[in-house]
Amino acid sequence: MTAVADGAVRARQSLAARIAARTGGGVLRVFLILVGLFWLMPTVGLLISSLRDPADVAESGWWEVFVKPAQLTWSGYGNLLGNAKIMDSLWTTALITVPATVLVVVIGSLAGYAFAWMDFPGRDVWFMVVVGLLVVPVQVALIPVAKLFGAVGLFETTAGVVLFHTAFGLPFAVFLLRNFFAEIPRELLEAARLDGASELRLFTRVVLPLGGPAIASLGIFQFLWVWNDLLIALIFADSGNPPITVALQQEVRQFGNNIDVLAPGAFISMIIPLAVFFAFQRQFVSGVMAGAVK
Amino acid sequence: MTSGGTAAAAQASGKGTRKPGKSVTGTRPWIAGAFLLPALLLLGALVVYPIGYSVWRSLFDAPGSGFVGLGNYAELFSDDRIRTALKNNIIWVVVAPTVATALGLIFAVLTERVRWGTAFKLVVFMPMAISMLAAGIIFRLVYEQDPERGVANAVWVGVHDTFAEPAPYPGANPRPNSDLKASGGGAFTTKEAARTGTAVSLPLVAVQPDDLKGAQRAVAAKPRPGQITGTAWLDFTRGGGGTPNRIDKQEKALAGLEIQAVRDGKVVASATTEADGTYALPARAEGAKLRLPASNFAEAYNGVDWLGPALVTPAIIGSYVWMWAGFAMVLIAAGLASVPRELLEAARVDGANEWQVFRRVTVPLLAPVLVVVLVTLMINVLKIFDLVYIIAPGASQDEANVLALQLYQSSFGTDVNQGIGSAIAVFLLLLVSPVLIINIRRLRKERQR
Amino acid sequence: MRHATLRTATALVAVGALALTGCGGDSGKKSEGKGGGESAPTVRLPKLNGQTLQVTAVWTGPERENFTKVLDEFEKRTGAEVEFVPSGDDMAGFIGSKVAGGGAPDVAMLQQVGVLQEFAKKGWVKPLGPDAKKELSENFSKGWQDLGSYGGKSYGVYFKASNKSLVWYNTQAFEDAGVSEPKDWKGFLKTARTLADSGVEPVSVGGADGWTLTDWFENVYLSQAGPEKYDQLAKHEIKWTDPSVKQALTTLGSLFGAKGLLAGGNGGALQTAFPQSVTQTFKDDPKAAMVSSADFAAANIGQTKAKVGTDAKVFPFPAVGKESPVVTGGDVAVALKDNKASQALLTFLASPDAARIWAGQGGFVSANKKLDPAVYPNTVFREIGKALVAAGDDFRFDMSDQAPASFGGKPGQGEWKALQDFLKNPKDVAGTQAQLEKDAAKSFGN
Repeated sequence: MTAVADGAVRARQSLAARIAARTGGGVLRVFLILVGLFWLMPTVGLLISSLRDPADVAESGWWEVFVKPAQLTWSGYGNLLGNAKIMDSLWTTALITVPATVLVVVIGSLAGYAFAWMDFPGRDVWFMVVVGLLVVPVQVALIPVAKLFGAVGLFETTAGVVLFHTAFGLPFAVFLLRNFFAEIPRELLEAARLDGASELRLFTRVVLPLGGPAIASLGIFQFLWVWNDLLIALIFADSGNPPITVALQQEVRQFGNNIDVLAPGAFISMIIPLAVFFAFQRQFVSGVMAGAVK
Repeated sequence: MTSGGTAAAAQASGKGTRKPGKSVTGTRPWIAGAFLLPALLLLGALVVYPIGYSVWRSLFDAPGSGFVGLGNYAELFSDDRIRTALKNNIIWVVVAPTVATALGLIFAVLTERVRWGTAFKLVVFMPMAISMLAAGIIFRLVYEQDPERGVANAVWVGVHDTFAEPAPYPGANPRPNSDLKASGGGAFTTKEAARTGTAVSLPLVAVQPDDLKGAQRAVAAKPRPGQITGTAWLDFTRGGGGTPNRIDKQEKALAGLEIQAVRDGKVVASATTEADGTYALPARAEGAKLRLPASNFAEAYNGVDWLGPALVTPAIIGSYVWMWAGFAMVLIAAGLASVPRELLEAARVDGANEWQVFRRVTVPLLAPVLVVVLVTLMINVLKIFDLVYIIAPGASQDEANVLALQLYQSSFGTDVNQGIGSAIAVFLLLLVSPVLIINIRRLRKERQR
Repeated sequence: MRHATLRTATALVAVGALALTGCGGDSGKKSEGKGGGESAPTVRLPKLNGQTLQVTAVWTGPERENFTKVLDEFEKRTGAEVEFVPSGDDMAGFIGSKVAGGGAPDVAMLQQVGVLQEFAKKGWVKPLGPDAKKELSENFSKGWQDLGSYGGKSYGVYFKASNKSLVWYNTQAFEDAGVSEPKDWKGFLKTARTLADSGVEPVSVGGADGWTLTDWFENVYLSQAGPEKYDQLAKHEIKWTDPSVKQALTTLGSLFGAKGLLAGGNGGALQTAFPQSVTQTFKDDPKAAMVSSADFAAANIGQTKAKVGTDAKVFPFPAVGKESPVVTGGDVAVALKDNKASQALLTFLASPDAARIWAGQGGFVSANKKLDPAVYPNTVFREIGKALVAAGDDFRFDMSDQAPASFGGKPGQGEWKALQDFLKNPKDVAGTQAQLEKDAAKSFGN
């Protein structure tokens, strides 16, 4: 975040700083704190609800724990750990997310490199077609791909979900990486080439390492996108062994009844993406900059 | 996939991406083919082919055997549910990006280069990392109707009750066969005019137990010369068995009830009942009728039905803004960082105040970023599915309907019509295609440089 | 999804009570006590070693656990491997998406007759095999068999039934007001009025879910107009503008339109979803005294601290005409794939052996004639179960469930919407009838 928040230090003040100076800083600070609390409140509500007994949740709001802290209990999480279905679904999510991320990075960089540094007929047209696919909504593919997967036995399989996510991640991957790779100084590649490096070697030893930052941004975005996806998994994933989003969706019934599974389940499903988010803020932000937003 | 097309393209052209050079490697085309093959295969099979299939399929009826031409597209604009979805999509596309961008702009400006602003940004940006499913579950809790459980209504009712004091006995009403009769607007008035020196009893029922906590036993008021006296009490014996219109043992007093003496439509005197339920009105009330104004009985305010048919779409948009305002904020903050300070200073020197500087200088300079943010969000919003699917309760799902949800239901629900489902898919594609054209144009321009 | 909304986690208090006292367990064991803790099988199942079977239902939580016990027994007897997949509330969407890719589950527990018929029309469900049919005809009355049929072929087995003509009440509230269980509609209104006077809002209506209102209407209509008219209206052979509908709506309006009888008023009732309509009647500070609902409301009562049988009791829906109505619902098992294992499972589900397992756990009623009522864990459910079997063919299946989904089974449209509008404005009987007729004509296509 610091990259965004602070930027280059300049001598002159920002508007915020001016407001702060003029009002003694107090008003602005109070305002931001209030808004911050407001933004945190929904998440805090879920967290506290996940730590209460369902009977208490049915009776009163989560804020009651501030008066009756004794209501807090780990039992919801205890039950969840014993809930094989939810635990398995987390594993399934990982089994979908990691390959889908790796594949997008690998296939995307291969193509990105080809578009950036190889010569072949119709290169620009092909690239434009790929970029054109950037905006295609996944919804267009639901029915046709369901039939296609059904015909080749990929329907209701983890592999099918991985392939779907990979395909729809590729246009952006190719676009981002091709632009990034194109920035690599020609001299560097030529030097490597003169040393007798093969095409593949050039790619793995020079291009990939130099593409690190872009690959990191791409990877994080793809990871979060796939981890958080519901729609594609809902249709294509193995319903007997679904990823966490689908497993939770199956529990979303009339509310209040399954809150003992839903609240801790939703919270656990958030932990990994939040950890990734906090660990890789910088890359995440530069990914946002590059528009990697689905 | 991405709605990021524009943002990405704008960014790239901004940077002035270098035109890829001649191959340094003297590649033979088949090597290039090998590098491209996996990507093109996947894209071809899972993205390009489906587009063609959907276009073709959208021209056929539900079983897929009868050619209907553009009939399915006509259906999009004639079917009530799909029209609601269309209308909602328009609301979404107009409102959600605008609000998210406006908030993002405000936050970005207010936290710019303020040290502790970083923590704030992190908090606002964080929801982007979680799934729409989790956000949906979070907001189902927030929007819970019962003010005792849903935080939105708890706050709303709290604010409401601060300004409008709740009635002492909501829902209470007189014993049906007593002298008190409904007199319009929720008030009750006696039939007989009251005389001084007599006691007028006011038996009420249907008082909620909560409102009786700590109430005393009711006491029969003694008639007093020159005054109208009486008692207001809950004329119901716990467990049944009391006599109507009589103050039985155990029956509770109703304290704090407002009583007005009305003559010729004017209030001539008023009183409030004591802890034992008694009241006394002065002599000038002689001959007036006694009225219990509606303010005594107004129903407790129960908050807003956030997820009811009327508000469900705005409520879900609220949850979307919660997730995406951070995105706008971060992009705008980055844009802000590259605004040349000199221009702002120059404007200030020219005597512009902060607001003018902001409006006349900062915002125009930010315009390209704002456009990118808006368009990105618009594309994203067009495809909104998860939030609506999870948050909208069954009862108002139709009012919350959006195209992507309708597509899912037309494709797979009970009234399956994959022709319609495909038509919606193609329609969505058409809606985003202007961006596609913009992207390609940008690229081409870049190419020509 | 109509019952989708109902089949909530069944943490039946009854089950809790059973576990505590162990008495219900005894009766359960008695009937399955022979042969090393196994009940003597009444039904022959083929050996299916190595076969796998996928079953879907909306059930989650305790309901799912109990159903899994039934499936476990099936696995034990046949050697097949059964996988249970919860469908989520949107069962039709779930099955539809799986059918699109050719990966439908083998067996599904559908919740509406209308859905069964639609699926049968599309050819998604497979007819019952001879074994399943035989088991079904031996154990179920003709009414239940017919409900699982379409176009002269048997498709489904009503494994789980429910009685929708019940009123649950808060015993403390009744005691405080000094009232007892009413028998007829007049008494019901009087009881409600007395309860209101005592300071508790008498009737909780989950009007945010349209199907609770169709249940109200069906109970009144069946009792008042009689079963013949009921059947005609269900098939849309008489119009919704019929005088009998007017009478029923007027009767219902005497409750819905009376001031102070609905919990939260009419506006509040419209904002109340089904589960909340039950829990608010039985929570610590009850917001209502009674709620008309099916037996499965016990699951929602289980969410509160109230105990079924002591704090929460039940009486039959008051008679509006000569007799109290019996409106039922149920989950019907159908095969989506035609294989031996699916047929074997349907056969098993039609047998008392399967019903016994869940019945003993509580929160379950079966219309299976051969099921020994002693297995029910408490009197409330034993009585409901007995009454259901005793009704023979005299019960009537939920009318809205028989209608096309667009009329009787979808939020925000058709009957659900029209009755919600009626709840908003109970005086507008004629307008409601006109709207109902308009929607029905469109959905039935006649």
